[in-house]
Order: sequence, then C-alpha cells, then structure tokens
Amino acid sequence: MTGIGWHISVFGAIIISLTIITYRTLNIVRLPVHLRWELAPIPHEKGKSRYGGSYLEEYEWWLKTRHRSRISPLVYMAKEILLLRGVCKHNMALWPLTLVFHLGIYLIAAMFFFCLINAILIIAEVPLSVLNVFLGITSVLAMSGYLLGSLGAIGLLIKRALDSNLRPFNTVSTYFRLVFLSAVFISGLYVWFLSGDFAFRMSLFVSRLITLDSGASAAFPLSLHLIISLLFVLYLPLTNMIHFVAKYFTYHEIRWNDRPKDEKMVEELTALLAQPVNWSATHVKAGNKKSWADITTGKTNDEKGT
Amino acid sequence: MKKGLKLADFSRVGGAQLTYLYMDELIPLPPPYDKVEELPGFRQLTEDQRKRLVCNLDGVVSYTGLPRPRDKEEEQKFVEQFISGLNKLLSKENNWTFLQPLLLSIDYCAQCQTCNDACPVYLASGKNDLYRPNYRSEIFRRLVNKYARPRGKLLAKLNRGDIELNWTTITRLYELSYRCNLCRRCAQFCPMGVDNALITRELRKLFSQELGWAPKELHEKGTMLQLEVGSPTGLKPHVAKDNLEFLDEDFSDALGIDISTPWDKEGADIMLIHSAGDIISFPESPIAFSILCNAAGINWTLSSEIPGYDGVNYGLFYDDVQLARVAIRHAQIARKLKVKKMVMGECGHQHKALMTVADRVLTGDLDIPRESVMTFLENLVFSGKIRFDPSKNPFPVTLHDPCNIVRNLGIVRPQRRILRYLCPQFREMTPYGVDNYCCGGGGGLSVMSDVNFTDWKVHVAGRMKFKQVLEAFSDQPDPDIKKYICAPCLNCKLQFRDILEYYGAKEKSGIICGGLAELIVNAMVDIKKPFISWGEN
Repeated sequence: MTGIGWHISVFGAIIISLTIITYRTLNIVRLPVHLRWELAPIPHEKGKSRYGGSYLEEYEWWLKTRHRSRISPLVYMAKEILLLRGVCKHNMALWPLTLVFHLGIYLIAAMFFFCLINAILIIAEVPLSVLNVFLGITSVLAMSGYLLGSLGAIGLLIKRALDSNLRPFNTVSTYFRLVFLSAVFISGLYVWFLSGDFAFRMSLFVSRLITLDSGASAAFPLSLHLIISLLFVLYLPLTNMIHFVAKYFTYHEIRWNDRPKDEKMVEELTALLAQPVNWSATHVKAGNKKSWADITTGKTNDEKGT
Repeated sequence: MKKGLKLADFSRVGGAQLTYLYMDELIPLPPPYDKVEELPGFRQLTEDQRKRLVCNLDGVVSYTGLPRPRDKEEEQKFVEQFISGLNKLLSKENNWTFLQPLLLSIDYCAQCQTCNDACPVYLASGKNDLYRPNYRSEIFRRLVNKYARPRGKLLAKLNRGDIELNWTTITRLYELSYRCNLCRRCAQFCPMGVDNALITRELRKLFSQELGWAPKELHEKGTMLQLEVGSPTGLKPHVAKDNLEFLDEDFSDALGIDISTPWDKEGADIMLIHSAGDIISFPESPIAFSILCNAAGINWTLSSEIPGYDGVNYGLFYDDVQLARVAIRHAQIARKLKVKKMVMGECGHQHKALMTVADRVLTGDLDIPRESVMTFLENLVFSGKIRFDPSKNPFPVTLHDPCNIVRNLGIVRPQRRILRYLCPQFREMTPYGVDNYCCGGGGGLSVMSDVNFTDWKVHVAGRMKFKQVLEAFSDQPDPDIKKYICAPCLNCKLQFRDILEYYGAKEKSGIICGGLAELIVNAMVDIKKPFISWGEN
C-alpha cells in the first residue's frame, strides 16, 4: 500500500468507526426519559451505599438534604472497568479469561497512546535517550497486551465452544468476533516477535501518518497486522462490543438514576404524556387518538379482550 | 428435559411440554423436609385439562385463557399481533416509559450467563435450562432482531440464531414470562447492567397491552376490579369500612383497649394506604397500625374512596397503562383529602409503584410526598411516645426482605433497627438485605393460583426462600419453640402462607409468618395481652 493509501485507510477507518459509535451513542441519549427503575446498591448514596441503602431510609426524606458522593461511583466504575468486579464477584469461572482478555485490550490501547506520544517525540527530534525510554515502555505494553489479548481471546473461544453453560447461546457472530480479535492480537504478537524494533516501527508509522507524510509505509507482516486491526476498528461499532458506551447508560441512567423531577424533565414528561397511544388491547382504550394522559386519567370499566 | 435445552427447541411446533418437573431434581431442603416421598408433589393435569388447556411449557398452567388457533389463518393472526406488539415496544410513542432500559438490555448482553446463579428459580429447579434468566430474554431478543428490525430475517439466517415465530413460541413465551419473580437479582449480578426482569415485564406488557392476555388474578380480578370496585379482593368501600370497624371492635374486646380507625379525615397529616388483602387475610396488620398510630397521637386517616383503601398496584407486574391508572388514582385521593403525605402500608410493590416507578407520572399537585412504612414505623418506635418491653417478644424472629422495598428502593436499615431493639432473638437469613432471595411470590405470582400454578410457585419459586428460613432457625428445630418470619409485605406473606401450609411447617417446625407492625404492638407495655396469636385464633 502507498503512503496516501495508508492515510486514507487509517483515518478513514477511525473516522467511520467514531462516527458510528457517536451515532449509536446519540441514539441512546435521545431516547425519551423513562420511568424510574433504580436498583440498589447505588454508590452515590453517601454513607449508605456500602449496605445498599438509599435516601428513602430517611424519615420525611423530602425535607432532608441528600448527601451524594461523587467519588464512590468513580471508584465503583474503576473497579468494574479495570478489574471486572461484577464478573469476579458473580462468575469466577469466567473471570480469569475475560480479565486477561480485557487487560490485553487496555494495554494495546495504552500502547497506541504511547505510539502517538513517541510520534510527537520523533517529530520534535528529542534526544534518542529520551525517546528510547518511551519506546521501551511502548514495547512492553505491546508485548504484554498482544500476549494477554491472544491468551484471553483464544481461551474465551475455547471456553465458549466447550462450556455447556455458554454454548447454547453462541451464534456465528459469537465465534466470528473472537476469531477476529484473536487474529488482531496474534498478528500483533507475531510482528512484535519477528521485528526487534516493533515500537519504533509503529511510532514512526504513526508520526508519518500525523504529518501526512506520503512516505508512510509498513512492510509485511506489520502491514497485515495493521489491515486486520483497521478492519476490526470498522467492525467494532456494528456489534455489542461497544458495551463500554452502553454500560455508562445502564449504570448511570438506569440503575443509579434516582434524579428528582426538575422543570425540564416535567416539560418532557408532559410532552410524552400528550402522545397518542395505539396499543390494541381493548382495556387500553387507545383508539389511535387518545393520549397517555387521556387513557390513564379516564374512567375504565370494560373487560379485557382484543 | 432438564439439561441440553436449545433455544431453537422453543419454537418447535406441537403441544409437547418442553421440560418435566420432578421433585427429586429440585434443590434439596433441610430435614425434616428432605424426604421427597413425604412431600406433596406437582399436580399432574388430567386428560381433560390437557385437551382444553394450553400446556406446552413445563406442565404448569398459570392462565386458562390462552387460545388455540383453529387453523393456520388464525395462527397467522396471533403471529401478526405479536409482531405488532414487538414494534410498539420499540416505539417512542407507545413505550417511552421503558424504551431506553429495554433497548439497552436487548442490544448489549454479552451472553456471559452470570445471571444464572443469581436466580432463585433456576437454582431451586436444580438448574433447569428453561429457567435460566437469559433463556427467556435471548428468545425475546432474537425475535425482536428478526421480526422488528431491518434485514432481521436475513441476519438471523446468517447468524444461525433463528427462532421461528409461531403459536407454540408465542404461548410458551407467555407462560415463561410468568416463571419469573421480577426480583431483579439477575440484574444486580449482570456486569453489563442488562435487566432480564425488565425484559420479562416488557414481554408481559406486550401480551397484555397488545394481545389482551394476562393472568385473571392480575388483570380481570386485579387492576380492572380495583379500578372498578376498589380492590382486587372485591371489597367495596363500605364493605372494607364495615370489616375494619368490626375488627376494631373485635380486637378492642380481645385486648381490653379502645381501638378505632379513622376514615376519610380531610386535612389529616397522613394518609395510610393498607393492602385490602390484609383486612381479609392478616387482620392483625391493619389493627396493629391503628393501635400504633393512635398511641403515638398521630393525625392520620384511611380513605374509603375507590381504590384508596387498597394500595396494591398489579399494573407494576404486567401493564404500564394499568400501573399509571392505579397510581394516579391513589395520588388523586390523597390530593382530595389534602393530606400532608402518603404512607405506604406493608406492601412491597406498592412501595415501588408509588414511590419510584410512578414518580415521573405524578407531576404537579399529584406529586404528594410519599413515605415508606419502614421509616414511618422506625420514627414511631424511637419517638419515645410509646413504651416497649422487648422481653415480650422472646421468640426467634427472622426478617424477610421484600425485593421491592429493599433491592429496588434501598430501604434496608429502618426495619432492622426496630427488630434489633424489640426482638432479642432476631437473626438474619443468609444472604440478606439487598442480596436477599425473593419469597417466590414476587412479580404477582403470590396471588396467582390457576390450575396447578400454586405447586410451582411453592416448590420452585419459593424453595430457596424456604430453605433460607429453615437455615435461619436451624439452631432451634423443635416445633414447640414458636418462630416468626417477619415479612413486611402482603404478597410475601401470602406466598409464605402457601409455603408453610404446603410443607406443614407450622406443625413440623413451629414457624408462622406475619408483619412488622404486629411485632411492635406485641412489645408494647400498654398492651397487656399477647397480640400475636400464633395462628390460634
């Protein structure tokens, strides 16, 4: 592939991927306010979250000041993201493999971040001794990330295929995703072992990308690894693997959402209640014309049926 | 077939059962309930019932109203209605109420199966594949993706995750949606925040709001009756009032004190909303509240307006429209009485329905402060207005945590403060608090008893809880030592009543079940006679 080809492929894949992720995220954000559906424990309940308590434990709670912790939810999520706390607590049989797998992803993400720093250092022509330190860190991150990721992805693939608890729920895409991820990690690991200066090559490649240098190039097998990775970047937002985005909403917007009504919410709720309803069962009495407000405040006394 | 059940098996046509339940496959109970042959088993359906009723899931029938299509055309009509319901569940107009939680739970499950071991039904059944929380959800998920999303059929074929939608699938899915307590323990376990209980409720909602299918105890004799005559018990306002007035007199005579219950007092500080089922099945409960409120000098009232004297809201279990209708009526009555606050009675789902779920429906002057009975009683007990003698409660007591009060609202400590103070032999079950197991009657199951459904809700749904209760009292197995399960929720008490009766636990282990207010009154210094009767009245 020529220099311009790499520019188009890399930036194109990243832009398309981010665009789809943003689109899917906005689709979640734009969904209407829902009825409250919180679930204990809620970590922002200061002094109570440890045992699952909430502000509703206070006598005449509406007259009391609510004490909310800003730190606890962050600590909770940090444990959840970095250590997969939930899986560790409730599904120990799966935890080691999924932890290794996720750590692999995190380390590779960190490796790319360091490649970006290295690229800037290369452009800035910093002394080689400084650059070498960063390249060393990048190399360790790459090796450990690819290794853990490979072990995790292959391990999960085998476990999913053999475990009678998991197997009935597998589909073609379950296997495809794990094979795809294995290819990303194993190809990276292969390149790392084959070339003694993986971190430098990657950093140089990134520096040429960000300076729009037409000389950007990657020799085989690095080029193969990059192409597999870019294809994965394109595939990722089409799947449920963007649960890192969804998880924000399932926790903050549902489980922990105990927000009282404010003026803006009441305005939105009023508009929602004015919408027409067309559920078909006769007891709903929708008639395609009546609104939520109409059908829930009107008299109802007929029998059920369709 | 207990193990090896595939998702595709679910849509296989024919009237055959998907799984069979055997007592010896269920999780064992401690002695003296460990001898399977001595326990009542699952009632098998008669030949006639099998011909008349739809029974293609697990041999249990929760609803006799499920129709059988006469021909292919009629079957197709059901399929189209179901697909129409799926589309409505995904629309902002028809399902703004739960659209975001539903879509997130459909789209982001990682299929890690962490939810399985959270589910008391799955565990109690001896890990029957059919009762995995995610089995039901995944069928639903695949149907949504195939029938309600663009290119769904093609993608389902390519993905080899195809579930056929036919009458068998629809009716099995209906029944399976009533094999869940909606306790949300699985949601608590899920690392992604996916909520199988919510999916189950959305399924029930589809059946109710689109096809008009719902258990008669929840709909026809539940919310419809409540909105029409005042209560699913059938108690009309004047009958409810008469009954309670009679109970006031009866208990006044028995206890030698004056008991009176105020009704429809405009401008009272508090409107207390009991469950009318308590008046009929557990009359000590409303009487205990009358004694406590009067002794503490509280300015309070009950309402006799439809349905202000019955706080239950079965809409929470199956139907958003009915949920909103009942909640709005409750708030309108409180507004009319000009009370300062509403206090939830000892009823878990009433707490959840009025305090949080309907919070965003009760706007403007309907947004009257709503308080839990737990904090209300805690304040009353520690106010110093009533004298207590904990030695009057010398028996072992354990606490059942109603899921809707504890896991769903986070009200954990007030009831424990009371019990630790007033019951010297109080002990926790394991696990407890927000990690508790459902009683098995959650999600409306406690009031459902069609055909052989009670067998299932006792033997399977309630089994983990019964096991917990027995373990909590294992240090004192002697039936002569009276033991008390404190279950501050009408539906939980009804489920416990069924469990204790089925297993003869009162006779074999000396266990009874009651509410929290009764224990408080039993410890009152000014009540000379024992208030708790141990089922001897």
